[in-house]
Amino acid sequence: MEKENETKAEQVVNPWEVSAKGTGKIDYDKLIDQFGCQRLDKSFVDRVFRLTSRTPHIFLRRNVFFAHRDFNEILDAYERGEKFYLYTGRGPSSEALHLGHLVPFMFTKYLQEAFKVPLVIQLTDDEKCMWKNLTVEESKRLARENAKDIIACGFDISRTFIFSDFDYVGGAFYENMVKVAKCVTYNKVVGIFGFTGEDHIGKISFPPVQAVPSFPSSFPHLFSGKDKLRCLIPCAIDQDPYFRMTRDVAPRLGYNKPALIESLFFPALQGETGKMSASDANSAIYVTDSQKDIKYKVNKYAFSGGQDSVENHRKYGANLEVDIPFKYLSFFLDDDEELEHIRKEYGSGRMLTGEVKKRLIDVLTEIVERHRAARAAVTDEMVDAFMAVRPLPNMFN
Amino acid sequence: MEKEKAEQEEQVVNPWEVSAKGTGKIDYDKLIDQFGCQRLDKSFVDRVFRLTSRTPHMFLRRNVFFAHRDFNEILDAYERGEKFYLYTGRGPSSEALHLGHLVPFMFTKYLQEAFKVPLVIQLTDDEKCMWKNLTVEESKRLARENAKDIIACGFDISRTFIFSDFDYVGGAFYENMVKVAKCVTYNKVVGIFGFTGEDHIGKISFPPVQAVPSFPSHSIYWGMGSDDASGHSNFVDAMMRQDPYFRMTRDVAPRLGYNKPALIESLFFPTLQGETGKMSASDANSAIYVTDSQKDIKYKVNKYAFSGGKDSVENHRKYGANLEVDIPFKYLSFFLDDDEELEHIRKEYARAAVTDEMVDAFMAVRPLPNMFN
Repeated sequence: MEKENETKAEQVVNPWEVSAKGTGKIDYDKLIDQFGCQRLDKSFVDRVFRLTSRTPHIFLRRNVFFAHRDFNEILDAYERGEKFYLYTGRGPSSEALHLGHLVPFMFTKYLQEAFKVPLVIQLTDDEKCMWKNLTVEESKRLARENAKDIIACGFDISRTFIFSDFDYVGGAFYENMVKVAKCVTYNKVVGIFGFTGEDHIGKISFPPVQAVPSFPSSFPHLFSGKDKLRCLIPCAIDQDPYFRMTRDVAPRLGYNKPALIESLFFPALQGETGKMSASDANSAIYVTDSQKDIKYKVNKYAFSGGQDSVENHRKYGANLEVDIPFKYLSFFLDDDEELEHIRKEYGSGRMLTGEVKKRLIDVLTEIVERHRAARAAVTDEMVDAFMAVRPLPNMFN
Repeated sequence: MEKEKAEQEEQVVNPWEVSAKGTGKIDYDKLIDQFGCQRLDKSFVDRVFRLTSRTPHMFLRRNVFFAHRDFNEILDAYERGEKFYLYTGRGPSSEALHLGHLVPFMFTKYLQEAFKVPLVIQLTDDEKCMWKNLTVEESKRLARENAKDIIACGFDISRTFIFSDFDYVGGAFYENMVKVAKCVTYNKVVGIFGFTGEDHIGKISFPPVQAVPSFPSHSIYWGMGSDDASGHSNFVDAMMRQDPYFRMTRDVAPRLGYNKPALIESLFFPTLQGETGKMSASDANSAIYVTDSQKDIKYKVNKYAFSGGKDSVENHRKYGANLEVDIPFKYLSFFLDDDEELEHIRKEYARAAVTDEMVDAFMAVRPLPNMFN
């Protein structure tokens, strides 16, 4: 949700708003400081490589996932033979998913494969019903539609449980919601989330709903008897407030604190002042865009760090700090060598923006088309299968 | 939950606190005014007699149930052949039930029999977990134990569904909780319930839980279809202190396309020591418990029941007893003329005969095909 680029005293990052200070970029160092999480440095990437015996995901190598809480403890435990489970989610507010939405799911799929661990995916249809003022029916419908895109990312059905809150809240999950709610005062949620007296009590009661999937006892059909199983949450960094609250509460309930691994915001085509917005079709590449759409959008809207004339460009080279095509390539061009080559050539001015854009169009088209094909193959029965409340006997194999 | 009998500016009546102004009695006229509900006058009692062809319950005749919202509409609808269902509940905070706890259940049993309507009974174990800081396990256990006392009041299993929140919240019930919560701001619940910033968000999120049993659409077990709200109104009976929940519910209902629940409300059963508040489960001598023996009752009444009689026989013969404050007389007005009632509680109390299987039967999520017969 982007706000107008007015001059702001501070940058704002919370689950419902992400905007930089003034017209600048998000200051991630400051964010890490402010939130109190840790930088994810290269040593982690190497360690993951050693533990999983496979090339670390591009998002790790390129620092898209750049911050964490207790990821080292997850790796320590894993090294000792202790497993963990993954928890991520989506607020199903629209059917229009863009690449930024897919980032956490692509990464989570890799984590599931690399570490061979189970995964729960929460669709917060209740949240969207409350914040976006959708009807219950509409939010449930969007949850199912979004589940298809998520499944298309390639999760392993023998290890994955997808659930929507409206379907799943109850029983042990509700018991944990009450336990968490008892530990958090109104003043505290105001401090974390910025609620006011005119907010309805649905919003105020929601944070525990997003907290409790961090606790294995919320899923008795999956993790019965495994109360000490650790949880790792891959998410965008704007979700951090929920999990700061959760980590604060966990010890008081006798639960482990969930660990987090957090990503940057995928920048809008127009530049890095916020995150992609589902309400501005030209700010993002959608999973439903055709090759023609992608070509048009990249050519017309992708903010260029190149110089204003070929002559100047050859002289000074491109400003890679602000160049969107290059940034997108750093997210999606898997070949490190090729990216390095582009960095050198484009940065020095030998390569022109048009060439970089062309390469990007190819890369994005391949991703989008692959996703679209996978999405088309997802049936309602498959959704039901992923969402069935069932044990996962092979989830750690 | 009684507070110290400090000098209070105003009487306090809300779901968690009942206390009179200063050391006086609860002013019920003022309460009705303040809450905005209606007096239940004799014409209602007569009308109920005509509609049900049986003697109205003692609690109606003696004005124990003395206030209402839209009870006339329930009776109008009933006269037209339209049905309704009953909803009442208990917050299971202790195993020790006293007579005051039984009052709404005795009355509800009568209503169920007289009008031949179904009934849902909510056990708010989540509420007690949050307010009394019980563990989840303990509050669920208390809910089941209290269910036995409730069943012992004699409800009709073919028309009665008992549920505990921890067991039942979810699905359509949770959807309605969210719908209600969207309609009530934090400022509003502060105004109704007096929450503060230091209250935890569990408390703030609880009111919708007690509201939604008022809406039949949650009751998918009725087998009527989830949106058949218009044809079936809902009739809640409760103690007056529960009124705030249902004021909120009635305010929200039209915005969700539901009927407003009607209410019929009772006085507080006074403590043995006098009418400054309500019986408290934390002071064993303030109340008669369903587990008290004949000896216990004799002892408590003799020792603690506040007397409105005079200090000497001579003065008493001269001036007579002050029946306004006399507890023995007040208790008799609740229970005399139905010796069966009293006898039932003391001797015939069927609690011991209620098995776990019976509890499971009442609490099973099942359709009730004969609920209106």
